[in-house]
Amino acid sequence: MAQDRSFSSFLGIGLPAALIMVGLLAALIGLPLYVGQSWVSITTEMLIMSLAACALNIMLGYTGLVSFGPAGLYAVGAYTTAIFLQKLGLSIAPSMLAAPVLAGLIGAIVGWICVRRTAVYFALLTLAFSQIIWTVIFEWYAVTGGDDGLTSLPIPDFFFNISNCYYFTLFVVGVCTFIIWKIINSPFGQTLKAIRENRNRVEFIGVNTKRYQLGAFVLSSLFLGISGSLYCVFSGSVFPNFAYWVKSADMLVICLLGGVYNFSGPLVGTLIYTLLTKIIADYTTHWHLFLGGIIIFIILVMRNGVVGTLADLWARKKQKQL
Amino acid sequence: MLLEARNLSKSFGGLNAVTDVSLTVREGQLVSIIGPNGAGKSTLFDLLTGHIRPDQGTVSFKGQDITHLKPYEISRLGLGRSFQKLNIFPRLTTFQNVQVALFSAEKLNHKLFAHAGRMVAEPVEEILKSVGLFGQADTLGGLLAHGDQKRLEIGIALALNPKLLLLDEPTQGMSPGETMETTDLIRSLVRARQISLAFVEHDMKVVFGISDWINVMHQGRLIFGGPPEEVKANEEVQRIYLGQGEN
Repeated sequence: MAQDRSFSSFLGIGLPAALIMVGLLAALIGLPLYVGQSWVSITTEMLIMSLAACALNIMLGYTGLVSFGPAGLYAVGAYTTAIFLQKLGLSIAPSMLAAPVLAGLIGAIVGWICVRRTAVYFALLTLAFSQIIWTVIFEWYAVTGGDDGLTSLPIPDFFFNISNCYYFTLFVVGVCTFIIWKIINSPFGQTLKAIRENRNRVEFIGVNTKRYQLGAFVLSSLFLGISGSLYCVFSGSVFPNFAYWVKSADMLVICLLGGVYNFSGPLVGTLIYTLLTKIIADYTTHWHLFLGGIIIFIILVMRNGVVGTLADLWARKKQKQL
Repeated sequence: MLLEARNLSKSFGGLNAVTDVSLTVREGQLVSIIGPNGAGKSTLFDLLTGHIRPDQGTVSFKGQDITHLKPYEISRLGLGRSFQKLNIFPRLTTFQNVQVALFSAEKLNHKLFAHAGRMVAEPVEEILKSVGLFGQADTLGGLLAHGDQKRLEIGIALALNPKLLLLDEPTQGMSPGETMETTDLIRSLVRARQISLAFVEHDMKVVFGISDWINVMHQGRLIFGGPPEEVKANEEVQRIYLGQGEN
């Protein structure tokens, strides 16, 4: 095989995509220089959410496993960091590193059970487990602070500067997204896609599908944990609603909006979802109603999400030119 | 004996799909299974490949009892199959369809950080050439013509370098021309790769053109097995099966 060492082939993407990526990265790095603090803060939130959505999409878009419970594992990450900081008095580094470890472990246990069932049964099991996590957080007052959550966490001063927090988040999300990208485009990722396409057929090419589905589940949990941990550091507090099913629904909607079959789908989905929420909320208190309407419209008209639909149009246009 | 099934039975809610079927495939043998619709041919394939469990009976492959193994374990032993209903990966390219099977065959599919891209391109392309799909390597599997998808299925099965290939109606839905081509293709593939073959088929030209042993099923039972000329001469077979159509 010829070894092409250019940047775009290193990433396994075409030149236009590589240029867009470099441009985007440059824009994100420069962001605090040309927008106000509130937008830096919103962008930080978006980065964290997009990592969560990307993590969910390992299962949803690439393995064909519809999980209704990503928020549970996101909350495990957030609470791990919070509890390690406040209750165990550990410093920030171990507190953050513990988040993906614990989320991955719990994800492994939950996943091991969930992959025994398929389709709607799988979805309901994931929902049930995330509600169990929510209940544990809600009830276990001594450790989790129950309904009140954990606030005034001893976050290092460094993160109170929003630019610092932003750059830290950008770095972690960037690295994680790159790792997810590598995984999706590996032989492992290809096997996941084959499972999504035709689970039965994959059994007949000698693949233990349950093991790979579990692998996807654990990886997804791990990155959800990181994303939860980032949010904990960003906001300085954690609340039970991090684990609530509404949060899971947000993540699912984001993936569907952007498009689950495209890597950038969850990223674009986050952007659209967050901006819509903010913009509509400026005009009306009934923003949920309008947001719901817009989501229904996009999902009906653009079945593969915004990115998927645009990619299809682009492909068709190119074909016409040939 | 490469494959040996003994007294296989399977019923679904009182309906006896397969009743007391025994059959064998020797190394290098080309065996076909014929019979009217609903005779239990596909169910028999599902039993042989672990897709469903028999109520009774055993299956052994290369001398090993595989009755209770899972499909992926049986596939790894070298028993490949294609399906009656199209069974490819529609949103992967033709290249990737075969590539992912090769990842499995070469135990590469646990690799998390290697770039799949053009990995194992050489053997993939060789397989694509051998099933006549090299020119469509970058087309999505789901966008291929029906006959090409059928051939892609065979390509996916070949990637596992099987000793025995079970093909369920490999020419189903093909035009007479495509059927001829596919028949030739199967015959040459099997010879070149020294694969044994068991296949279900309705097209009698294909059956008599390839098989050196024909099993006839009727209402879940294996009623006759023998070389083509004996099958042709057998009165019972003619009465219940061959006599029904223009063949």
